[in-house]
Amino acid sequence: MKQRSLGKSILIYGGASMLAVFWFGPFVLVALASVVPQTSLATFPAHWFRDPLNLQTYDYIFTGKVPTSYEQRGALRSMISSEVRDVPRAIGNSFLVATAVMLINITLGSLSAYAYARIRFPGRAALFSFVLFSRLIPTVAVAIPYYLIVQRLDLINSYWALILIYSVLTLPFTILVLTLYFRGIPAEIDEAAQLEGASHWRILRDIGIPLALPSIVGAGLFAFMLSYGEFLFALFITTTRERRTLPVVLGALSANTDVSWNMIMAAITLGTIPTLLLAFPVWRFMVRGLTSGAVRG
Amino acid sequence: MRSDELAGTTVTQPLAGAGAVPRGRRASDWPTGVIMVAPVALLIAVFFVYSTYRAVYQSTRIESPIFKPRYVGLQNYRDMLDGRFFRQASENSIVFVLAVVPTLLVLGVLVALLLNEPFRGNTALRIGMILPWALPAAVAGLVWKWIFLDGWGALNGILGRIGVIDDPIAFLGEPRLARLAVVLVFVWAQLPLASIFLLAAVQSISPDLYEAASLDGASAFGRFRTITLPGIQPMLLIVALFELLMAFTNFDLIYALTQGGPGTATTMVSYFAWAESFRKLNFGAGAALAIMIALAALVVILVLMQAMPKGALVDDDR
Repeated sequence: MKQRSLGKSILIYGGASMLAVFWFGPFVLVALASVVPQTSLATFPAHWFRDPLNLQTYDYIFTGKVPTSYEQRGALRSMISSEVRDVPRAIGNSFLVATAVMLINITLGSLSAYAYARIRFPGRAALFSFVLFSRLIPTVAVAIPYYLIVQRLDLINSYWALILIYSVLTLPFTILVLTLYFRGIPAEIDEAAQLEGASHWRILRDIGIPLALPSIVGAGLFAFMLSYGEFLFALFITTTRERRTLPVVLGALSANTDVSWNMIMAAITLGTIPTLLLAFPVWRFMVRGLTSGAVRG
Repeated sequence: MRSDELAGTTVTQPLAGAGAVPRGRRASDWPTGVIMVAPVALLIAVFFVYSTYRAVYQSTRIESPIFKPRYVGLQNYRDMLDGRFFRQASENSIVFVLAVVPTLLVLGVLVALLLNEPFRGNTALRIGMILPWALPAAVAGLVWKWIFLDGWGALNGILGRIGVIDDPIAFLGEPRLARLAVVLVFVWAQLPLASIFLLAAVQSISPDLYEAASLDGASAFGRFRTITLPGIQPMLLIVALFELLMAFTNFDLIYALTQGGPGTATTMVSYFAWAESFRKLNFGAGAALAIMIALAALVVILVLMQAMPKGALVDDDR
C-alpha cells in the first residue's frame, strides 16, 4: 500500500467521521432518549442528565408500571398513552407477516425465476416483462383498488390480506434478481443432469437452490424488510388494535399529542431490534463481497 | 461470490429485457415451466388487472360516502388539474425531486469513493450503513420529527445547550425549513443504498486503467473525470432512476414527519392523492390523481430508459 499524504488522511477520516455522525447520530439519540425521564427530556436547553437515567419506559411497555416521573406530578399522568403498550404485540404482528412474505418470496419466487431462466414455454418473455412491469406502478395508485380486492375476499383486518399485498409488491423484484442469477449458472450443469433423466424439479432442488442460496437469502431479506416496515396498506387494512403492525402503532403514537417522546423512543428501539437481528448477518455476508474488492488496489 | 451481483441488479427491474431470457432445451418441458410460474403470475395478474380496471372506472365517477355515485366522465381529472392544490403539490414534488436526486448522486459518489479507500472503520461503516436504510420510512419520519420538534426537540435542545441559539427554532413550523428537513431526512435514508450501488460500480473498474493514467501523469481529478465517471455512468443512471421513483412516490416519510404541512408546504402529489382519498373520502378524484401519478412515473421511466446505454442493465451474454 502506498503511503498516503497527511491531507488525504485528514480528508478521509474527516469525511468518515461526518458520515458516521450523520448516519448513526439519530440512533444514538433515540436509544439515549428512551432511558431519559420524560421530565428531563422535555427541556430547553437540553438537561437530559438532570435526573438519573432508567429503564422505566421499557418497564411500562412490558408490564404497565407507570414511570415514577409521571407519578410525582399527578397532572402529567395523562401524558402516557396506553397505545404504547401495543408495541410488543405490533412487533409480533409485523414479524409474523414479514416472515410469511419472506417464505413466499423464497419458495414461489425461486420456482418462477428458475422457470423464466431455464425452461422454454409459450408466452415466457411477455409474462416475465409483465411481472416486472406490474411493480412500476406507484403504491398510492393501487391503494384503493387493492383495498377493494381485500374487501371482496373478506380479508379486511387479517394477516392474510397484508401477506397477499406484500407478496404482490415484493415478488417482482425477487423474481428479477433470481432469474438473473439462475441464468448465470452454466447450462452444462443441468444439461448433464437432464441427460441422466433428472426432472426440472430435481435440478432446482439439488442444483439450482444450493447454488443460488446467497441470492435467495438476500432477496428474501429485502422482502422481509419491506413488509416489516410497510405503512400505507397496513394503515387501512388493520382495523383493530390486535392486528396493527409496528409502523401503524408508531404512526398512531406520533399523531397522539398526549404521548411522551421517551416512550416513543423506547418503542422505536424495541421495534428496530428484530430487523437488525435478521438483517445484520445477511448484510455482512453481502457486503463482504464488496469489502474484498477494496483490498485489491 | 454473488452478492455483488445481487446488489448490482437491485434496480435493474424496469429494464430487464424479456428477450434476454435464454432458450430452454427441450420443448416438452413447457408444462413444467407453466406450472412453476403460474402461482405468482396469477396472483400478480389478478391484482394488476383488477386494480387497473377499478382505478380507471372509479376515476370517471363521483364516489364518496356523501354523494350518490354517478358517472362524470373526465370531470375528476379536470377538477384536479384546474385546482390550486394539485398545482401546489406538483410543484412541491418537482422541487423535491430536483433537490434530492442530484444531492444523492453527488453525495453517493463521494461516499463510494470514500468507502473505496482503505481506512480504519471502513467495514464498520459499510455494515452500519444498513441502519438508516433498514429503518422503515414511517419510523424514520417519527425519529426526525422528535429531533426537529419545536419546543424541546433534540436539535433545539442540543443547540440551546451549547449556546448556539437562545430560543427554539420551529424547524417544522416554517415552510422553508420544513422543506429542507424533508429533503435532509430523505437523503439520510436513501444515501446508504445509493452509495453501496455506486461503490459496487467503482470497484468494477479495472485498477490497470488507473495505473496507466497515473503513468501518463493524469491528476487525481483527471483520473476521476476520464476513468471513474465514465465507468460508473450506467450505475449513476440506474440510481438516478430508482431514487427519482422513490422521491416521486414518497409517502410514509411525509405522513410521519410533517403531514404535508405547515400548510401545504410539504404536500407532494402522492401524499395529496392519499389525503384526497382517505382524508376527504373523495375516492373518484383520488383515483384520477393516482392514474395521473402512474402515467407521469411511466413517462419518466421511458425517457430515462432512452438515456440508458444499451446493455448497461442486463448483460445479455450471461
